[in-house]
Amino acid sequence: MNTCATLKRATWLVLLATVMLFVLNVAHALWSVPEHLISKLEQLSAEQAEFINSGAVLEFIPQRQIEHELATRDADSLKTLLDELLSLAAEMRYDPDRDMGAIPLNLASKRFNQGTLPTPEPLRKLQRQPGPFSVHRYLVPKSGVPTFGGANVAIWPEDLVAGKVDVAIIGVPNDMGSGRRDAGEGPAAMRGLNTIAAADMQSLVVPLEVLHVVDYGNIRVDILSSERTATHVAAMVAETAATGAIPMLVGGDTSMLYPGVKGLAETHGSGNFGLLHFSAHPDVDRDGDHLLSDKQALFLLLQEGLVNGDETIQVGLRGPAVTAATLEWLRSQKVRYHTMAKIQQEGFDATLKKVLAEVNRGPERYFVSIDVSVIEPAEMVAAGRIAPHGLRIQEAARAIRQVCAGKEVVGFEITDMAPRLDFTRLSVVNANALLNACLVGIAVRRAGLKPDYIHPLVRGHGQR
Amino acid sequence: MHGANPRGRANPLFLWPVLLLVSTSWLSMAGASNDGPNNGPNNGPAMPEHVVGEQPYPFDTNDAREEDKPAIELPDSIRPKLNLLTPEEIDFLESGEARRFTGPLEDTVEALEERTPEEVKAWVGAMREVIERNRYVAGRDAANIPLNTESAHFNAWRLKRPRAMDPQREDGPIELGRYNGYGGPPTFGGFPLALTPEDLLAGEVDVAILGAPLNMGSGWRDSGEQATVDLRLLGGEMSGSDQYVMIEASDVLTIVDYGDVAVDNDSTERSMRHVREVVREIARTGAIPMVVGGDHSLEYPNVAALADVYGKEKVSVIHFDSHYDAWWGGTHLISHGYPVYRLINEGHVRAADYIQVGLRSSGPDKSGFEWMREQGMRYHNMAEVEKRGWDAVLERVVAEASEEGRKVHISFDIDVLDPAFTPATGTPVPGGLTMREAITIMRRLCAETEVVGFDLVELHPMLDPTYKTTLNSAHIIKACLTGLAMRKEGKTDKHYLSPLSSEHAVDDYYGDQQHYLDATRTEEEEEEKEEKEEAEEALDANPTRASDG
Repeated sequence: MNTCATLKRATWLVLLATVMLFVLNVAHALWSVPEHLISKLEQLSAEQAEFINSGAVLEFIPQRQIEHELATRDADSLKTLLDELLSLAAEMRYDPDRDMGAIPLNLASKRFNQGTLPTPEPLRKLQRQPGPFSVHRYLVPKSGVPTFGGANVAIWPEDLVAGKVDVAIIGVPNDMGSGRRDAGEGPAAMRGLNTIAAADMQSLVVPLEVLHVVDYGNIRVDILSSERTATHVAAMVAETAATGAIPMLVGGDTSMLYPGVKGLAETHGSGNFGLLHFSAHPDVDRDGDHLLSDKQALFLLLQEGLVNGDETIQVGLRGPAVTAATLEWLRSQKVRYHTMAKIQQEGFDATLKKVLAEVNRGPERYFVSIDVSVIEPAEMVAAGRIAPHGLRIQEAARAIRQVCAGKEVVGFEITDMAPRLDFTRLSVVNANALLNACLVGIAVRRAGLKPDYIHPLVRGHGQR
Repeated sequence: MHGANPRGRANPLFLWPVLLLVSTSWLSMAGASNDGPNNGPNNGPAMPEHVVGEQPYPFDTNDAREEDKPAIELPDSIRPKLNLLTPEEIDFLESGEARRFTGPLEDTVEALEERTPEEVKAWVGAMREVIERNRYVAGRDAANIPLNTESAHFNAWRLKRPRAMDPQREDGPIELGRYNGYGGPPTFGGFPLALTPEDLLAGEVDVAILGAPLNMGSGWRDSGEQATVDLRLLGGEMSGSDQYVMIEASDVLTIVDYGDVAVDNDSTERSMRHVREVVREIARTGAIPMVVGGDHSLEYPNVAALADVYGKEKVSVIHFDSHYDAWWGGTHLISHGYPVYRLINEGHVRAADYIQVGLRSSGPDKSGFEWMREQGMRYHNMAEVEKRGWDAVLERVVAEASEEGRKVHISFDIDVLDPAFTPATGTPVPGGLTMREAITIMRRLCAETEVVGFDLVELHPMLDPTYKTTLNSAHIIKACLTGLAMRKEGKTDKHYLSPLSSEHAVDDYYGDQQHYLDATRTEEEEEEKEEKEEAEEALDANPTRASDG
């Protein structure tokens, strides 16, 4: 992140904080000290009384509790409580004399950028013609080095160009999720239990026959900083997309949604594609102490204008961050959200219909993102930020396939599958199923078929 | 090896005048911080050890051990290949810096022969580009990882709940259970809970077990945060009688669960200072901090906190690990591979006061071991165990750790154990200690040396559906608690074991039956005597109560 962007963001955040404070004040203003407790405030200092009257105290103690404390505590005890809370409030904000305002790095390091430095051409060990290549000895390989979909491997942008690659599947093993970790192992696990790119049962399209798909390796991450990782990931995604290939990103935690979309925005232009985001979590934390995390990914995209709010569709919301304030904020951004509560009420088919209508009304191009937390834990126990009562795998896959077949997909990302949390490996199979849904969708579209096309042979046995 | 002593180069006092010139205002800021480490009884002048604001790390960050390989001189016969190179490029190609790309003279000549002068030009250009792009360049690279200093909740992660929010209570350990302490939410060992230093002081607590769920290790990260919870769920394993010595630690020591310390799992660096503050807060009361992690970065704040309390270079560290953890020179200033170097670099521990046990990972290379040897670090690798046998190494480690005047911190990375016992760890390495070996050395060290701090790190329970790793981790802690209790009881003889439980003495199979019978009787008599004295003391202290009875 360069200084300019940081400054820009800081300014924005100040603005936002001001608005938030205003909103908070409005909310607090709705509460006032009940009539029979007002006399209690007389025992307090002006500052203490104001702390309660302004509603600022509600940030620490719920309304019901502060009323109970006012009613039951004696003056001394009440003063002690408020003094402690006031000193807490005073320490809440950043103080440059006390707090670390930025995480220092070792500027003397000779390896400062080593992790993210691709090998320059003259230092590569082997000379070869550009283009994707097989990692197998046999014409019909049964095993060997695992790749996404068993696809050929490409390493450099020249390989993608030379092979006219349509889809580059790329691992982004960032592992800084705010839930349970291990998403960093996601790409390896999904390669190691390959269930994708086979003939599609509905259309009988074989993705690898229609599309040139490659395993484009992993993008290097800085395991101790999502911020440093994001800079590199965005650049690599932009470079990949510039070759004409569609990047399908395999996370990694959901903070990587930010550089994934940012990289594509560099190629296709900010606000030039919509975002369909399947997730239990809204990921719009507006007041993080860090500048990038999974909890902030969508907020950052909207804030920086990389995607437009009214072209952003969220499906499956239900996590602990879904509060009234968050939903109000999403509304204020014109985000089209579809909560799990609504899906349970009206049935998934009805919601899917609405979502597809919104997608169709929206821009021609979409980025499709899946945080696996959207899936019901019974089928995705390895979700890093697991949340009960989610979508079935068939439901999510159907939706993804329809969108990827109906719209031009500029990029795809699946995030936060932490394989070691599922000793049965079912989560890996299902994560691959979600990725495959989009891959098949892209193939169906490329084959010139309608999104919901069903091959006549599949419809029935045809016997009387 | 010039400049091989990082301690010397990085001495904060050496940096003092430089820093003074750079930023006097910053120094006054750091000096004014009354929460800094300067309150320790044995500390010298105030030293800016904490990063505040957006300041850089206040110590020399060069890796003093880094040095280039020797330069070469290319033969004239190969000179035509260098036709297109500038003199500067030729100097570079012959310098030590280029050796990591082209190898020694012979390999370099061979590689040059394979290339045209044009290719040589591009080749050397690429090497210099890599070196340049690897380094930090102001303006091109971010100098730090900025935080959102505008956040209204910047410090929410580490602020403590005011005592006044809960009903008033006396200071002291809290029993959470309804039935004589039993039946409450799970705590470490089922021990009572303490939340403040006042609780520790009022309860005259001997050992405070602190959870530190730092989840930033470089191996498998799953659920480091689960470790402190699972160790409580299986907490009972930590307590109870130890049959080897017939002592129940909690009969002798006051042990508490001190809750978890807040960590920022988006930044190891940011977590360090707060962990250090809380560990220091424990040690200041006189209690032994036992920190349960969490990744091994924690060794840094744990030991730094002890240095805050007992003084710089007053604490020795016994580092049980399959890794040496003295890496340095990467982009970051702390990770679970760096704590040893950073502690030495900041002057908290002398390198010569490091004792390492169980190393066997693929690093470091020869230069790493040469550096350790030069620094006087006592390393006991599994290679030594293979050579001398475990018993000999055990005796040597205990002898080194019990040297006169040593105060000891034990940092126990569970990957020192064989993965057969602890599969659920971030960076397991086969060929490690058995539980039988580990229990013995832990009990002996905690009994026979002056242990002032302890940590057990790198437990990732979700990697192990059997709970085996958690169980074994709990028993390592128990072995140390037992040892600490033995020490308090005065049972610090070399390798003490109970004469009653270690020998049935029904026959004279080993030829020393009488010794065991005598020793058992002596112990019984001593215990009776002690009980009698205690009863008399109690009577003296409170005669009325006795007469009431």
